[in-house]
Formats: sequence, structure tokens, C-alpha cells
Amino acid sequence: MQERLTGIGEALLDKAHRLGVDAEVFLLHNRELMIEVVEGQVDTLKEAEEMGLGLRVIKGNRLGFAFTSDLSPKALEEVWDAAVSICSYTASDHYLSLPSGPVKYPSLIVYDPVIAHTSIEEKIELARQAERASRQHDSRITVIERAGYEDSEFHSLILNTRGICAYAQGNYCGTYVFAVAEEDEDAQTGFSISIKQKLADLDPLAVGQEAAHNAVRSLHARRAPSGRIPCIMEPYVVTRFLGIIAQMVDAEAVQKGKSLFKGRIGQKVGAECISLTDDGTYPGGVSSFPFDSEGVPCQRTELIRDGHLVGYLYDTYTANRDHTRSTGNGQRSSFRGLPSVGSTNFMIEPGTRSLYQLMDDIPYGFYITEVMGMHTANPISGEFSVGAAGLLIEKGQLTKPVRGVTIAGNIMQLLEQVEAVGNDMRFFGGRGAPSLRIRYLSLSGE
Amino acid sequence: MMDHMLLAEILDEALKKGGNFAEIYIEEKVSTSVYCEDDRIEKINSGRERGAGIRVLAKGRTSYVYTNDLSREGLLKAARVAGHAARSQQAGTHGPISLQSKPGPEPVRYLRLPENVLFDEKIEHVLAANRAARELGTDIKQVTVAVGDNHKSVLIANSDGEIVEDDRVRVRFVVSAVAERNGVIQTGYESAGGVAGWELLDQISPVDMARRAGELAIKMLDARPAPVGRMPVVMSSEAGGTMVHEACGHGLEADLVQKGLSVYRNKLGQQVAASIVSVIDDATIPGKFGSLRFDDEGTPGQRTVLIDKGHLVGYLYDRLTAAKDQVKSTGNGRRESYQHKPIPRMTNTFIAPGEDDPEEIIRSTSRGLLVKKMGGGQVNTTNGDFVFEVQEGYLIENGKIGAAVRGATLTGNGPEVLASIDRVGRDLGYAIGTCGKDGQGVPVADAQPTIRIKELTVGGTSHEGHPALYRIRRK
Repeated sequence: MQERLTGIGEALLDKAHRLGVDAEVFLLHNRELMIEVVEGQVDTLKEAEEMGLGLRVIKGNRLGFAFTSDLSPKALEEVWDAAVSICSYTASDHYLSLPSGPVKYPSLIVYDPVIAHTSIEEKIELARQAERASRQHDSRITVIERAGYEDSEFHSLILNTRGICAYAQGNYCGTYVFAVAEEDEDAQTGFSISIKQKLADLDPLAVGQEAAHNAVRSLHARRAPSGRIPCIMEPYVVTRFLGIIAQMVDAEAVQKGKSLFKGRIGQKVGAECISLTDDGTYPGGVSSFPFDSEGVPCQRTELIRDGHLVGYLYDTYTANRDHTRSTGNGQRSSFRGLPSVGSTNFMIEPGTRSLYQLMDDIPYGFYITEVMGMHTANPISGEFSVGAAGLLIEKGQLTKPVRGVTIAGNIMQLLEQVEAVGNDMRFFGGRGAPSLRIRYLSLSGE
Repeated sequence: MMDHMLLAEILDEALKKGGNFAEIYIEEKVSTSVYCEDDRIEKINSGRERGAGIRVLAKGRTSYVYTNDLSREGLLKAARVAGHAARSQQAGTHGPISLQSKPGPEPVRYLRLPENVLFDEKIEHVLAANRAARELGTDIKQVTVAVGDNHKSVLIANSDGEIVEDDRVRVRFVVSAVAERNGVIQTGYESAGGVAGWELLDQISPVDMARRAGELAIKMLDARPAPVGRMPVVMSSEAGGTMVHEACGHGLEADLVQKGLSVYRNKLGQQVAASIVSVIDDATIPGKFGSLRFDDEGTPGQRTVLIDKGHLVGYLYDRLTAAKDQVKSTGNGRRESYQHKPIPRMTNTFIAPGEDDPEEIIRSTSRGLLVKKMGGGQVNTTNGDFVFEVQEGYLIENGKIGAAVRGATLTGNGPEVLASIDRVGRDLGYAIGTCGKDGQGVPVADAQPTIRIKELTVGGTSHEGHPALYRIRRK
């Protein structure tokens, strides 16, 4: 695969050298397997293979980009012409540049041969195990909406005219269950997902049981009274908020005046118990990789240390604008787009208190297990108002289930209001967090 | 696009191991986007993509294989893999497949294909919108303008002998403005789009959109925090239809209903909404963002009444779910691209206009919240709970529109809310969006008249200062 990709890439770079323009070829080959089972039978099996190329050209300080999934010589000719001609329309910008090489990359284990060598039948069995475990966990589990196994294997090659030549292959796998519990005309859902870099680390039984547990604990939930009350967020809920915070530490948002963290480096932006890190080299991390989508080595970057803002995430362009170095966060989700700043393994560092200790002295509060409409939270203003579900905390104990309420506030206030950080750090894909105890949050219900 | 003999050979290969139904979906797509931020043309993207998805059904099981290798060998290999995954005890016994073009609605006439419009012209519109928002004053700190267009040519052929070819062109314009004053940041957003070529620009004005987005961002700088608690809500027609999309649309998609994941299951023929409420999904309205001539399984798009004067009369079906319920597909089998299997999805979904005067609905509301613009939303179809974002809201006091409020999400329960709609206006307003389900995004439009809901939970942050609103909690 490496040779085939390199052959295509080098042909385009030759062209760039001849014409004296800067160019970068990003080539991706991706294979995916998705299995969904219903009542022990395979409901859907999907196998996919795609390959494509994104071409970035910088000509006279102007940026051009085009992509294609057709790698025939004629299509490559067209993609070249499209990218070069676009350079005559975009604004001139002397901060545009491609990273220079050669570079030494960290040696990371990001490929698990076991995933590649395990048969489809065995993978189907993993999904079945997760489904069975969910049904057997509680007799009130009546429907498994879906139980599945997925894996993905990709080869990534980045070549540019400044000497970058980066190639690696990676893979990961995951299993998930969405379960429905029913009792006395009430139906509630619960889900669980686990994504791992190694197949041996997947635990389908735990995933099935957790989905069932989450569904059952929500049965007969009702609205709660409105008020400003202490809250505890489960790690999953915290990772949903991390999606918003990731956009606020993005140097591009900062430079464009679209982040409340603008101009706040060195200042206190949250409670002292909060430390936030991005680490593209995190062992076992699903988003770990030797290099980013521009061929810059991945690294560990501290963003908030003990409540103080200490850094932003940079790609090559935004780093040029701030006269600093890329943090290896030039990401792209496919060959179809330009790289832009993105997080890798993005996490709030765990504390020392157990969930029990976090909750113990709360007379009345809200334990938040689910948020809805998180995509409507505004990373620019920091404002959020989202649907929420969970359980009431009464005298330090989890009691009645709650749904149909909203929680609202501003991310900046939320970070200030964190009173304690749990020791129960957990990853959901590339985002990891422990439980957080929030002094007060505005809850709207009855 | 491709030889009928070869397509038949591929479908035949896919059924060799005993599947009941095989389908091939081939897509060729050219797309461009122009993106302006920081007062300059920052990015232009141009892409070309081709791929095929092969689906085989066997006794309720689906196997789906996609590839962007469209050579004869590549497609036959994909067909073999899909057929193998769906294999059954008996080998395939189907007869020869002979493909016949399927009759359907007239092809859409696109006047100006986006790939034939020069970048200069696209850039001119984008820059004019950027200027219009920035001219609103120094509170405007950032403006993002983007226009994206794509032209998809699709071919769908299946082992029932049907073959459909279709051209789909969409253009979408988006403007977002950021205003800042004294450390407070607010945003405004406008989007418009449709199934149309660049002639869409004769109907929409990016400059007007930019002004509206900018004015909204500035107005929200002075808005008060939204109240907290339950109160009457009037939703203006210009607010768009996110509410109907979340409160009932998703719950009427047949796959969710059949899996037992919808509050609307087993409710056919029953009253599920106030008798003044009718809900319709209509793919046949010309030019709307969710309109389609054929769905992504080759079924002609149609108008489907879902709720008729409060009674549930239909669900949204694709081929697979229709077969399970022994009904016909309603033409709602849609997919994001060749990389996805089709599933039941909405197209253009709306609450039908009623008889009330929209202004009178507000006048007759003594206290409550007026929603003038909705943002995104989400629903849990199993229990019917939904949320949607209010981008522009006002307090209603004594039948008059009062102060602007910000930072509110409204939450309610689908069947409860539909039952508590007590006024339906005679107007109708559309909004466009990309609807996400099972990891697939498809373009949709939603609409509603001005309506009033007796009580919804407003999720603001202001616990004090609006005592009048608390008093409404009588029931």
C-alpha cells in the first residue's frame, strides 16, 4: 500500500517542483467493518473501502485545494489544475506555509495486528456477547435498539515539497449497545460504547451490562423543580462539554475573536482543580498517531494547568500567525478537506476523590447522566442551554430519576464552579474526563 | 452512466449466494465551496468523488459494501463480498435480471449548473454579504460567509429490474456574524438553500441574509437572560420547523417504530395531537432543500400525510420497513452518500397552516415567550422528550412583544406538546437544515405556521426578575 500511495504522491510533487510552487499531497486509504446484530442474528454487515487524495497548493502566498477519490492519471491532472487555479482567487497571506522536513516522529503503537487477523465470525460473536449481556442483565430490558462491533484500518501518507514524508498505518475497534428498558407503560433508553486501540481491551460484557443499567435506572423519570442546585456530571457528560471547550482552545478561533479564551494566557480561567491536556501520543489513545494531518509530529500539550490557561492548540498556519510552533494539531477528518486545528486525545486530568466522596455531603442536587442538543451550545459566546436527564441526589445518595429538564449557563462560569474532580477518568473516543462536581447549575424543570 | 448489461451482471453476482434482493447505487459528485472569514476569501474547495454501494437483503439481514473502484472488476468484487455476507443455505435461484427504466416525475430543470458558474461570480456574492454584515457597525467583530454547491448524478438499479437515473443539484448559502461589546459575545446565523442551480440566487439575497445575521448578533448583546420554568410559547412561522421535526417527525420514521423505539408505535388511527394539527411530509414541493424526485432507492418522492386533524394516519417508510408492514414505500428511503445504506428519513416536513391570524395569536397571549428563530434540536424517540434551541426570543407581556431574551433551550415531550397546541396560524415559514441520524446527514426542510403551545419548559438562567412568568404555572 505504501508504495502505491507514494507513487501517486511523488508524481504530483514532481509537477510542483517543476512549476516552482509549494504543494502537499495527503493520501488516505481506509477500510471499515461494521456489524449490527439483532436478537443474536446479523442485521447489517457493512464493509467499506475508500481511497482518496487531497492536494494543497501554495502559489504566491495564495492557497488552493482540491480533492478526488478517482486516482486515474486524468483525474490527477484535473485535481492539479483545480488546486492551482483556485490559488488565483484566494486572498494572499504570507503566513501560509507547509511544514518542513525531514522530521523524526515518535514511535507509537497505533496498529493492532490482532484486529486485522480476527475473523468476521469472531467479531460478530463479540457483538452478540454484548447484546446477550445486556438482555441478561435485567428482565426489564425488552428491546436492544442496536448492538454492534466496528473497526477501521487506515493508511495515511503525507508528502510535501518542503521535505515532509510521513507514512503510518493505524487501526482501532469498538463495540456498543443501545438498550431499552420497559416497565408499566414507561420506556427508557440507555447506551454504552467502548472504543479501543487493541481488540484484547474490548469488554463486550461490560458494555452490554452498562447499557442495560443506564436504561433501567432511568425508568419512571420525571421532571424536577427548577432551581440553582449542586450538580455532578458523569464522565460521559463532561466529555460532551469537552467538545465545546476544544473549540475554545483552538488557536484559529482565538485569532479570529471567536473564543472567550482570547488574551487570557496566564490568567485563571477555571477552578484550581481543573487541568486540561491534549496528548496525541497518549498510550492506548484512540487518537494517538505519530504525526498530524500536515506531517507534524504529535505531542502532549498542556492547555489549562491548575485553573490557569497556559496554551492553545496550533496547526502550522495558526502557529505562523502567532510566531510559535505547531503543536501537531493540524487535523482533517478525511481527504476531502483542508487541515485545520483539532484536538487529539483531549482530557481533563483526574483528581483523587471517588464518586461516593464527591456526592457524600450534597443534601440535594442533580446527578447528570445525559445531555441533549449539545450541538446547540455556542462555543463562541460560551452559552449553553441543553436538555438533561439523570438522578436526584438526596442526602448524598442517588434517588429518583429525572428527565425533561434543561441545564443552562456559560462555559466560563461552569469552569469556575467546578468544586471537585473525581478519580474515575474515562475515555469516550478521543475525549477523556472524570466526574465533576459543580457548585451550582441552573436547572429548569417544573 | 453505465451499461445495463454490466449492471445486471453485478446484481446477479450479488445474489449468487441466495440473497432475496440486490441493489447497486452509483454516485458521481462534483462539489465546490467558497469560504470567507476575517474579511477575505480564506478557502476554496473543489472536489470530485465517485463511488458505488451494493446492498443485498436476505431474510431481513442487510449486507452493504461500498467502494470507489468503479471498474468492472472492482464492482464485481464488491458484489461478491456483499453476496457472501448475506449468504443463506440455498443457493440463489432468481431468474435473469432485465433492467427497465422506471417512470417517475419529470426531471428537475436546472438553469445554471454550479460547476459552470465561475468562481468570480460566487466570490462576488460572498464578499457582498461579508461587506453588508460588517457595515452594520463596530460591534460586528467577525463574519463568516460560505456558499457550497454540489451536483450529484446517481444511478440506482435493483434485482426487481428497476433502474433510475437522476441529477440532484443543491446550493446552500450560510452567513454567521459575531458581535462583541464589553466582553459579551453573541452570534447570529442565517442559512438558505434548495434543490436548484445557481438560479437560486434570484430568490435569495445573501446581502439580506448577512444583514439579518448581523442585526441579530447585535440585538442579542442587549438581550436579557431567558427565564426559567414552564410557560406558554408562541412560535412564529419565520422560526422554521425544528419543533415539528423533533417533536414528531423522527418518531414517525418506520424503522424506529418497528423496533419499538417510538412513543408513536401502536398509535395508528389514534388521536396523537390537537385536532387543529395536521403534519405532512412532502418531497414534491419544487425546489425546497429536502425535495426529491426519486428517493435513494429509486422510489418516486411523494406527499405523505402523517397526522390528519390530530389523528396519526401514516409513517415514513423506505423499502425494507414497508415490506415488513406490508405497505408501499412512501419514498423516504434516503442516504447521505454511496457510503451509507438507505433508511427512512424526512424530506420537507411541516405542520399545515390553520385559520388563525398570526398577530392575533400573540395579542391574545397575556404572558409567555415568543420564538422568532429556532436553531438545532434533538429528540429521544423512545420517550418522546425533545429539545430545541431558541436563537431569537422575546418575552410576551399583555399581548405585546417585550424584551429580547437569550440563551434558551425549550424542552418538551412530543405527544404532550402536540396535544397542547391551541392556536394554529394561517401563515407558513420554512427553514433548512442537515438532519443527522445513525451517523448520516441528509438535507431537509421544515416548516410551520405561527402556533401557540400552552406550556413548555424554558431553559434559561434567570431565576429572578420575572415574577410574572412564575405566576403562569397554574394548571
